[in-house]
Amino acid sequence: MTRILDFHAHLDERWLHVRCDTPAHAVDALDRFEVEAACVFTIMGFYEDCRPHNDALLRRADEFPDRLIPFATVDPKQGRAAVEELQRCLANPRFRGVKFHPWLQAFAPNMLRDTMLEILHVAAQHRAPVLFHDGTPPYSTTYQIAELARWSPETTVVLGHAGSADYVNPAAELIRDLPNLYGCFCGPRPGDLVHLVEVGGAEKILFGSDFGAAGWRLLPERIDNVLEAGLDPRDLDNVLYANAARLLKLDEHPLPPGTQTSSEAGR
Amino acid sequence: MGRPLKTIDGHAMLGDETYLSLRPAELLRRMDAAGVDLAIARPMGAGLVVDHRAGNDLVLTAGPRIRGLASVNPWWGPAALEELLRCRDQGAVGMFLDPLRQGFFPTESIVAPLLERAAQYGWPVMIRTGAYIFADVLAVVEIARRFPSVAFIAGFGGYADMWFEMSEAIGSVGNLYLDASMLWGDGIDEIVRRHGAARVLFGSAEPRNRYRVCLRTLDRLELSDAERDAIYYGNAERLFHL
Repeated sequence: MTRILDFHAHLDERWLHVRCDTPAHAVDALDRFEVEAACVFTIMGFYEDCRPHNDALLRRADEFPDRLIPFATVDPKQGRAAVEELQRCLANPRFRGVKFHPWLQAFAPNMLRDTMLEILHVAAQHRAPVLFHDGTPPYSTTYQIAELARWSPETTVVLGHAGSADYVNPAAELIRDLPNLYGCFCGPRPGDLVHLVEVGGAEKILFGSDFGAAGWRLLPERIDNVLEAGLDPRDLDNVLYANAARLLKLDEHPLPPGTQTSSEAGR
Repeated sequence: MGRPLKTIDGHAMLGDETYLSLRPAELLRRMDAAGVDLAIARPMGAGLVVDHRAGNDLVLTAGPRIRGLASVNPWWGPAALEELLRCRDQGAVGMFLDPLRQGFFPTESIVAPLLERAAQYGWPVMIRTGAYIFADVLAVVEIARRFPSVAFIAGFGGYADMWFEMSEAIGSVGNLYLDASMLWGDGIDEIVRRHGAARVLFGSAEPRNRYRVCLRTLDRLELSDAERDAIYYGNAERLFHL
């Protein structure tokens, strides 16, 4: 079995009226399914003021700094303030990436081109990947997200769902055609993964679970989606671990040591 | 927790569509490997969208362990009804419609004659759901209200981003059922807990999904033996009159 790094998970107190897992519970699930670490995003920060949610996410992730890798989010509708908030977050090396959910955050990238260009530029300066929810009209179609990769070729842009339900084939072709566009295999199914790897290339597809937005069962389900695609061992390692480790620069900047286990945290 | 007495796949796909391809012999091989006794299959690709005779023949002549859902494009008009009659005589056990691929809202008047025919034949109607245009879960609820004698199955269960409509949709009408082939475990579990296992059918969405993924997803739910029997085969036997 290859190593596993989850490039798409959530860590928040709640999603609207539904309570979410604590950091200790999240790490307990990572332990059960042998996932080494997970990139974690806010949920309520997509609906509310980003700054306190970025701070809260960092506090939660810092309970397990060796396992939970926070990604910041900002609200590009705020213009210059969004760019400054991103600079503030990325100045902290704990934040390894940026997450946007344009559908929930209520913007289409084209509506805010100048701000998005600045944001993409800041992310590139920090060599931080920028992951966008994709596969959902009207603000998050896969084509809309791919346009961002064209605007800023120096920025690593990740399709957060590799096309999701209905955009898998466009996602595969766009990942193939744009050197700085990657796909997070988070939601599509094994038959889709075979196509994404064949067309987009195994070195450009990363495993993600969306775990944390739903309960623990989502993590093994999403791992099954990868394992049942029948990839060869090298491609499997790329998808489940190596590509994410490369984008996160884990060789250059390993995760800090942990201070506790999930059981010690009193789950 | 053992496997149920038998397993019926309520939603497999045969044919070629973009990057997906599956023939009856390969579906049977996958069924055998997974311990699936019977599959309900529908056409995909050109056989679903334009070449109905070829698509329907593929699923209706696939052998005794694969039973077919007939599909026609409502825009065909009277020719669609003739094709449904032909399919019924060949042993079709229901109808499949894909509003997104075939280009219609389920509530459009061109669809009503097909649903009247399904009611006449005692067929359930599976409708692909999950895309915002055409394949809207709530549009299927609307026609379920208009045709209360027809059992409607929400194909793909609102996957991906209309999943949050499914539980309320099933609760709002008594003749709507979940195809569990693409929905995640928590989503399936919520529907079982709120509305009962009688409203959920095991499905595989082969070749897009895989039997092993779908079976393990159900295995992780804390289902009683009665719930498992209903989901794995009982509901399919009842709805498809197997």
